[in-house]
Amino acid sequence: MSNIIFSSFVFPGLLYVLVWTVGLFWFFRKFMAALHKRVGPSFNGKGGSYQTLFDLSKLLTKESITPEGVNPYLFSIMPLLAVIFAMLPSAFIPWSDGVVVVDSTYGLLALVVLIGIEPFLLFLTGFGSNNKYSFLGGIRILTQSISMETSFLLASLSPAILFSTMNLTTIVEQSSWFSFLVLIPGFVIYFIALLGLLEQPPFNIPDAEQEIVYGFYTEYSGTNYFMLQLAMFAEFMAVFAGAATLFLGAYKGVFFDSYFFFFMKMMLIAIVMMTMRAATPRITLNHMLNFSWKYMVPLALVNIAWVLLAKSLWFMGV
Amino acid sequence: MNKVKELISTFDCEYVQDYKKIWIKAKLNSKDDLLHVAKALKEEGLKSISTVSPTDFIADGIMEMNYFFEDLKNKRNLWLKVDLERDEEKCVIESITPLFASASWHEREAYSMFGVRFLNHPDLRDIIKSEDFKDKYPFRKDFDWLEHEKDTLGNMQQIVNSFKKEQGENEVDLDTDSSETILNWGPTHPASGPIRLRVHCDGEEIISVDPDIGYVWRALEHLVTQKDFIGSIVAVERLCFMDNINSMVGYAMAVEEIAGVEITPFAAWMRTLLGEVARVSSHFMGLGMFFNNMGLHTLAMWNMDTREFFLDFLESYSGARIATAAVEPGGVRYGLDMAMFDELQKALDKFDATIGEVEAVFVNNPTMKLRADDVGVLSEEEAYKFGLSGIVARASGVKTDIRIDEPYAAYGELDLEYITQKTGSAKDRFIMIFQDLKQSIDIIKQSKAHIEKSVEAGEMNPTKDHMVKVPKKLPKGEAISRVEWARGEVLMHLVTEEKAKTPYRLKLRAPSFNHTMMLDYLLKGQTLSDIPLIFGSLYICQGDLDR
Repeated sequence: MSNIIFSSFVFPGLLYVLVWTVGLFWFFRKFMAALHKRVGPSFNGKGGSYQTLFDLSKLLTKESITPEGVNPYLFSIMPLLAVIFAMLPSAFIPWSDGVVVVDSTYGLLALVVLIGIEPFLLFLTGFGSNNKYSFLGGIRILTQSISMETSFLLASLSPAILFSTMNLTTIVEQSSWFSFLVLIPGFVIYFIALLGLLEQPPFNIPDAEQEIVYGFYTEYSGTNYFMLQLAMFAEFMAVFAGAATLFLGAYKGVFFDSYFFFFMKMMLIAIVMMTMRAATPRITLNHMLNFSWKYMVPLALVNIAWVLLAKSLWFMGV
Repeated sequence: MNKVKELISTFDCEYVQDYKKIWIKAKLNSKDDLLHVAKALKEEGLKSISTVSPTDFIADGIMEMNYFFEDLKNKRNLWLKVDLERDEEKCVIESITPLFASASWHEREAYSMFGVRFLNHPDLRDIIKSEDFKDKYPFRKDFDWLEHEKDTLGNMQQIVNSFKKEQGENEVDLDTDSSETILNWGPTHPASGPIRLRVHCDGEEIISVDPDIGYVWRALEHLVTQKDFIGSIVAVERLCFMDNINSMVGYAMAVEEIAGVEITPFAAWMRTLLGEVARVSSHFMGLGMFFNNMGLHTLAMWNMDTREFFLDFLESYSGARIATAAVEPGGVRYGLDMAMFDELQKALDKFDATIGEVEAVFVNNPTMKLRADDVGVLSEEEAYKFGLSGIVARASGVKTDIRIDEPYAAYGELDLEYITQKTGSAKDRFIMIFQDLKQSIDIIKQSKAHIEKSVEAGEMNPTKDHMVKVPKKLPKGEAISRVEWARGEVLMHLVTEEKAKTPYRLKLRAPSFNHTMMLDYLLKGQTLSDIPLIFGSLYICQGDLDR
């Protein structure tokens, strides 16, 4: 019992997600500032490290405005659901050797499905906002997630095919430098699809502020907005952790195995994502659809074929 | 030139005379001839109209219309005047919009501000002024501003009511079975600035765009008539904060022409130098804005970093970074301490050190090219037709640059060439700003070197030569001046009365007005994603849009 409470509220549950959100938010700001030739937050705490904490607690205490003419229950429950569904995948992730809350045979499936539900919840937030911009944002996120999830799913299947299992712990245990090399094409496709799923540049189409103000976020404020931000960062964690687990060998390190390496791998993905954010303008919905269905999905299928070939050549034993 | 003169002489004119190098000034006796003249001019090749500007001579009971026809290709311009009766009932003239598309908004402005009615204008609605001025004509000399402002609350209520009425009715006519809707793009929108585009769209696809402007209307043209000739510069420079020097240069030139004053060579070179510094600071913003509108803020941040150094120079010279008030009739406002050039050298060094990475990461950015290569295309012919100028016209391949066409300040002595692009797409306009920026840096270097050389040789005295005296009272007269502003052509038409202490009328023709007119034309059939891109590429500033 105490185990369950610990995992749901401390690690890898609520507290962990909160610390991750505050930390990553601060890191994003500082890293982005360096790329922008700015200073970034610098007044509160060392290097502005308290700034994000203050900002998030400020959001919590602000009024949550519910616009006229919306269903208040739908409007307010969606952010909460979004947070919960974004936090669930971390239960299936093997954070360190033997540290996994639910060690399931269908871990990979749970991961993909839970990540896939998230955009639909965000679509509902836009749908329930009774605002033209929110609605457009909702439609856009639905369009984008449908196109990107196909290649996302196909890419995440490649380690499962290679190791003939959907159990994440087994996948990590069997991964090696050689399997990493074989899975590189899959990793690249996973990473690009991840940008689409997380609405990161160049795929930040659903909340394109210059076009549709703030997309599905437009009407949210105060606590509800805090929830949505938390959901976004929890989603970052789920998707990064998924990438680290499936392709990069999770906690496996150079001299010793530890959570430290897992964290470093997640940060590496975060840094690449941020650098792309600083150098790539947004593309349009048409370009995204073209790119997804004309290139990503066929390439993901080719990747499956490549993994099958590699399996028959080198991984028959496993 | 002669051909235009001959052509205009065939009509019934009060006078036809040469004016400046590339202008002909003529006055028609009858307003009925206007359409025939306009048609003949268009056939002759004067395809653009810069602006339509009424002047209200209340004492004579006359509303004098000024039309500025331009031939961007062969540099032949015509300033055509015709008198109307000032009486509101009879203040009517044929619209030339059916012939010159670029006149459309200018005629609407004349209608809103002066109550001149244009017959056969396709879309004669109020523009710029807010709803509380409905059926009032604020720029008429007999308009009582104080009386109007007494009822502030009532005026605000009127604005609110009309907005609510519009919001209540704007979707009534739409097909309920379709996904058509009216979106407000602005005025409180992350990328719009103080402008509102009524976007009629079907899902993501745009059916039409109707810009609603006037959110930062300061009535500058009226404001200057309340100030003396030197005080007016602070109103004129607020045309747009990004490039304030060049607008002051234009105004100062008009005043000097009426006063008959020649400025010193030092002042002319300083105007060139300061003007280019202001242009650089504006172009930095314009480049950044273009990428901001595609959701990438890095370039704007990098540009701000370099721009600060140029503003440092402006600050050391004038004491202010943005609204410098550094140019006034008679020369430039302050003497130059040669040590200030160290500040400028720092800025130039910073520019040379950083421009390479901007070019590598942003000007050659493949994603930008993917998005901007084939949207917002304006052909050369369209640039003539819609009276475009500056960056936008040059990106379409039109060789127009007032610094070369009609040199002012010290531009005649500089080594300058037309820089143009070919296709006129949004990408070309972005690259055009970048090339123009590089050219400006080159001009700054040339003028800095020239000033340093002349001061060393003793030909210029930087602390004494900056001003010549301009009389406080000006004679009766009128003048036009044109400058190549950061965004394009600024034309100023200044009218003074006998022993004038204030301008009687100052028309400010600013380029963003024409460029904003293009939005509907360019955005029809595109998607919502293209609005910020095309808007950003047209390099619009709401300051000079509303004035």
